[in-house]
Amino acid sequence: MSPYILFVMLSSLGLGTTLTFTSSHWLLAWMGLEINTLAIIPLMTNKHHPRAVEAATKYFLTQAAAAAILLFASIYNAWYSGQWFIQDMSSPVSTLMTLAIAIKLGIAPMHFWLPEVMQGISISTGLILVTWQKLAPLALLMQISHNIKPELLIILGLMSTIIGGWGGLNQTQIRKIMAYSSIAHLGWIISILHFMPALAMINLFIYLIMTITMFMTFNLLNSPTINTLAMNWSKSPILAATSALALLSLGGLPPLTGFMPKWLIIQELTNQELAPTATLLALSALLSLFFYLRLSYSLSLTIMPNTHPQTLNWNMKTTTPLPLSLMMMMTLTMLPITPTIISLF
Amino acid sequence: MVMMVVFSVMFLISLIAVASNPSPYFAALGLMIGAGVGCGMLTQFGMTFLSMILFLIYLGGMLVVFAYSAALAAEPYPSAWGSLEVFSYVVGSLMLVVVMWMLLVNDFGAFDEIEGCVMSVRRYVGVSEMYNAGGYMLLVAGWVLLVALLVVLELTRGFGRGCLRAV
Repeated sequence: MSPYILFVMLSSLGLGTTLTFTSSHWLLAWMGLEINTLAIIPLMTNKHHPRAVEAATKYFLTQAAAAAILLFASIYNAWYSGQWFIQDMSSPVSTLMTLAIAIKLGIAPMHFWLPEVMQGISISTGLILVTWQKLAPLALLMQISHNIKPELLIILGLMSTIIGGWGGLNQTQIRKIMAYSSIAHLGWIISILHFMPALAMINLFIYLIMTITMFMTFNLLNSPTINTLAMNWSKSPILAATSALALLSLGGLPPLTGFMPKWLIIQELTNQELAPTATLLALSALLSLFFYLRLSYSLSLTIMPNTHPQTLNWNMKTTTPLPLSLMMMMTLTMLPITPTIISLF
Repeated sequence: MVMMVVFSVMFLISLIAVASNPSPYFAALGLMIGAGVGCGMLTQFGMTFLSMILFLIYLGGMLVVFAYSAALAAEPYPSAWGSLEVFSYVVGSLMLVVVMWMLLVNDFGAFDEIEGCVMSVRRYVGVSEMYNAGGYMLLVAGWVLLVALLVVLELTRGFGRGCLRAV
């Protein structure tokens, strides 16, 4: 891809999300989402391959359908209430709007496109897809969250966490596993959304950090399947060890950062007298934890059953890029500064 | 009102022609008729200029869609409403329409509401208001057109690229 075209596409990606962030009018928010969809398609087919074309086609069809439903819901809202402001969404229409945004985000009953699209595109484009592309729809969802029925959000959230955990169990492809992991994390985000939007923001923030870390790691290790993960301890021993821990952080184990949002969300849900929901969320996190554990097991605890062509290099030149190191530290060790992070949101 | 009912029924039939899963050929034909009849519905609401613009744009776009689907799927034995499978879809869609009619129309009184809606929407000040206050939005809209051009260019550039069928 020509760097000029790449520049135009990346800046349009930025423009679309910023436009959705800053607009108070449904039409402009819809426009931003459409710019986003349009701009990422050439990035998806950057390495022109039938799977990439298939992924881009699936992505375009899903997002266009979701955007059409979103536009329909906002027009219906304008007809129903006579104004276009995002914050004043009327209650019956907000259900339709929530479902449209759920298609855009890949939340559980509408999640089928996400693993398939992720499998067809490169890891770096996948990183854009599961981080930057989630921001604009989530911003809309947070602005209308006080008008959405909490039952709807809880049902969507529970289905996402359970299906995200269950779906990832049977996968051997890293990108599909990460797609299911994204579905499960979004389930946590939207199940707390109505009760405490700030907590959903914290969860989104931590999710972004952990996901960026994992995608950068897999991009660096260049390993698309679980099998190839087992070779990586010889390429970069420290990265193999820390990324195994980062996977456990993604699963939400206590001394690591990923425990923080799960802890706070379960506490808040219990305060709202939703203990069964909190229990189900915690149990479904076990499903996710199983495949994270499988990944970290093959990343750090197994050796390929063939003869290794060289002895282990004990004094390697550091190849880990600085952003990855920073993100890795944030992924692993932010639990002690939980009060600071809470005060930020 | 009579024309409105006629247009609405034609609109439904043409959409069922799309939804009943015939050969792409006939589905594109149904889509074209649906687009045209939809513009006819708009004229019944009094928006003649809007419907003319829409009709011209739709006609151009739909011709391309029609040509594309005719070229992509040139079947020797196209299936239309005569075949059993497609006909079952037609019956299913019709039943769905009837059920929705019975559920929704009596409650909402669709036609009355639409006329009420038109009275509040038909303000020609809106156009000048858009050019006056929404200048930057038009700038973004123009940028979107440029991006769309570049996206299409990037997707179809070069030899052997851009066609879904070539695997």
